[in-house]
Amino acid sequence: MVAEAQYFEEQSELARPRGEWALAWQRLKRDRVAVGCGIFLVFLLFAVGPGAPLYGKIVGHGPNDFFPYAVSVGLRPAGPFTVTWATPEIAGDDPFALKHPAPPQGTPKTLLLLGADSQLGRDEFLRILYGGRVSLEVAVGAALVAILIGVTLGSLAGYFGGWVDAIVSRFTDLVMAFPLLLFLVMIGSLFTHGIQDWTLHGLFNQGVIELVLIIGAFTWFYPARLVRGQIQSLRHREFVDAAQMVGARDSRIMRTHLLPHVIPPLLAYGTLLIATNIMIEVGVTFLGAGIKLPTASWGSLLAQTWGSILNPNPFNPATTQPWLTLCPSIAIFLAVFALNQFGEGLREATDPRTVR
Amino acid sequence: MLGYILRRIAVAFVLLWILSVITFVIYLKVPADPAGFLVDMQHASPAQIAKAHHILGTDKPAVVQYGHYVWRLLHGDFGVSWPTVVFFNGVVQGAPVGQMVWKAALVTASLVLGAFVLLLLVAVPLGTYAATRPRSFVDRLTLGLSVAAISTHPLVVGLLLQLFVGNKWKLFPASGYCTVSHPSAASIDAWKRFAPTGVPEPCGGIGAWADHLVLPWITFALFFVALYMRIVRARMLEVLDEPFIRTARAKGASELRVIRSHALRNAIAPVVTMTAMDAGMAIGIAMYIETVFGLPGLGRTLIRALAGFQGYDLPVILAVTLAAAAAIIFLNLVADLVLLALDPTVARRGGRGAFRVLGRAA
Repeated sequence: MVAEAQYFEEQSELARPRGEWALAWQRLKRDRVAVGCGIFLVFLLFAVGPGAPLYGKIVGHGPNDFFPYAVSVGLRPAGPFTVTWATPEIAGDDPFALKHPAPPQGTPKTLLLLGADSQLGRDEFLRILYGGRVSLEVAVGAALVAILIGVTLGSLAGYFGGWVDAIVSRFTDLVMAFPLLLFLVMIGSLFTHGIQDWTLHGLFNQGVIELVLIIGAFTWFYPARLVRGQIQSLRHREFVDAAQMVGARDSRIMRTHLLPHVIPPLLAYGTLLIATNIMIEVGVTFLGAGIKLPTASWGSLLAQTWGSILNPNPFNPATTQPWLTLCPSIAIFLAVFALNQFGEGLREATDPRTVR
Repeated sequence: MLGYILRRIAVAFVLLWILSVITFVIYLKVPADPAGFLVDMQHASPAQIAKAHHILGTDKPAVVQYGHYVWRLLHGDFGVSWPTVVFFNGVVQGAPVGQMVWKAALVTASLVLGAFVLLLLVAVPLGTYAATRPRSFVDRLTLGLSVAAISTHPLVVGLLLQLFVGNKWKLFPASGYCTVSHPSAASIDAWKRFAPTGVPEPCGGIGAWADHLVLPWITFALFFVALYMRIVRARMLEVLDEPFIRTARAKGASELRVIRSHALRNAIAPVVTMTAMDAGMAIGIAMYIETVFGLPGLGRTLIRALAGFQGYDLPVILAVTLAAAAAIIFLNLVADLVLLALDPTVARRGGRGAFRVLGRAA
């Protein structure tokens, strides 16, 4: 009797329909590429979050410390795996020396994992970690802003239709036709003298909030279009009619009946949007309209060897260090690639049209 | 049909008008005083500053200024570049922005159009080949490459190509631009006499032009090639399933002929119209590439105008924005008309919307 009850209990446990999220999770686990990218993203988040100061503590210096010993007399920054003297100044002042004179006795040594970042001799690896933090802050923040605006306007347009829809849709069409990057760079340079210094009491680096707001303000059209389409297709289904019949208000229908359907595709889309935003941050900063030095971001690290638009560094085989272009390039590629693949996997896993 | 065409043209004009308003508002609101280019703002008296405003016409009400602005635009006059402004004999003189932007637009056009030719030359055969052999090694390879290419920043590609192919291995020029026409003897003479060190000798000729554009073209094409390859592949797979392909095969047409004259012809039409829809993104990407490779195109002109030491060169900024957006509006109009020519039923269905870019972020 007891065994029988236990049996039925187990049966009912087995027969209980699994929720949407459990199913999505199950599908996601089967996608090896997505799982790999997800693990990499968690690792990346750890590396740029608590990992960066932790690594700084281990090697004993920060991202803005100078190590002139890591730059050769010919002004070529050292390559990866350099152990250098941890002192901010060079001993001796002989301008014709072929090698830096040794520092005074007792100067400690320190490790620069990816070498020096420029003629200043800062730790490239640490700057990539801190730069990744800034880039990801911008990318995630801008994606959140874009999704927030996009969901609000998109669901209003999709639910009410009529003139609200007409305005939002026409506006979206209009802005989507224009060269987004051109506007971003222009607005980023022209109008941001006030908000460039917003840091929320030092929580973020200078320029992060500025970029978040600008990028967010110019990319909400895509999530708005997505949400609008979804809501429009669900708008006249039976469950909405039923909710209306029992007297639910519009705001309640939107919040509890319609928006939950939009969340899975938005989650996937948000991941892709973060990848796009990393690209935009890199581009805008490279072109001189984004994060300002000395704050490291992936865009400014990429521009380090190349210079800036008004004075590009000429190529000189004696001083140019190819690693300084390669390292940020690889970091940007890996992050964007992982986000794209994970977002793709997420989209496939949460799409109810895929086979269960 | 005619009504549809007229409506599309009307929409284009309305958009151009909206654009002129937007650029004018930017012009009004930007915290930069053009008088600073005429007088020394630190030492000038208020009267001198007021006079400078009067000369530049910035003391009039906004509506009057807007009227002047549109009037001048209609006459093809984009004003003069502010850093070059001189006040001489009671008239304001300087480098005309219209000419600057036109020259820059030619550079951008040679970058973008050349790259698109290269792109189609690579994407169409590869996409077609992948479609005829789905799940083959080549198909998987193109899929993998396109996934990687979509995640690679054009700046990264450009910088690496410039650094290694251009600078280290010296296979192609790493930066700079040469005009298609040969430079005049006068300009070479002027370069010999006045050019500061570091300014390269003016060069020209088709060969030099193409040589300098090889790396920019590759960079540009790499970003889009993946996308177009996948689109060609998807369209080809769709078309190859159609009954008329079966009919063609049943009639005994060779496989090459089926692909070339029956399938490709149908698969490629939407791809060609898509190129116009990607124009907005293309101009953004071109901005990166022009900056990296030092091509004096629209994007680089804009960034230089934004980054100048003296302040913003607003007439140039506005003219570039206007030119870029007008080009996009024009290309979309052309795409609409091409689509109409390919498939007359779009006029009844209302078209794809004059300015609808597929839901992709730049």
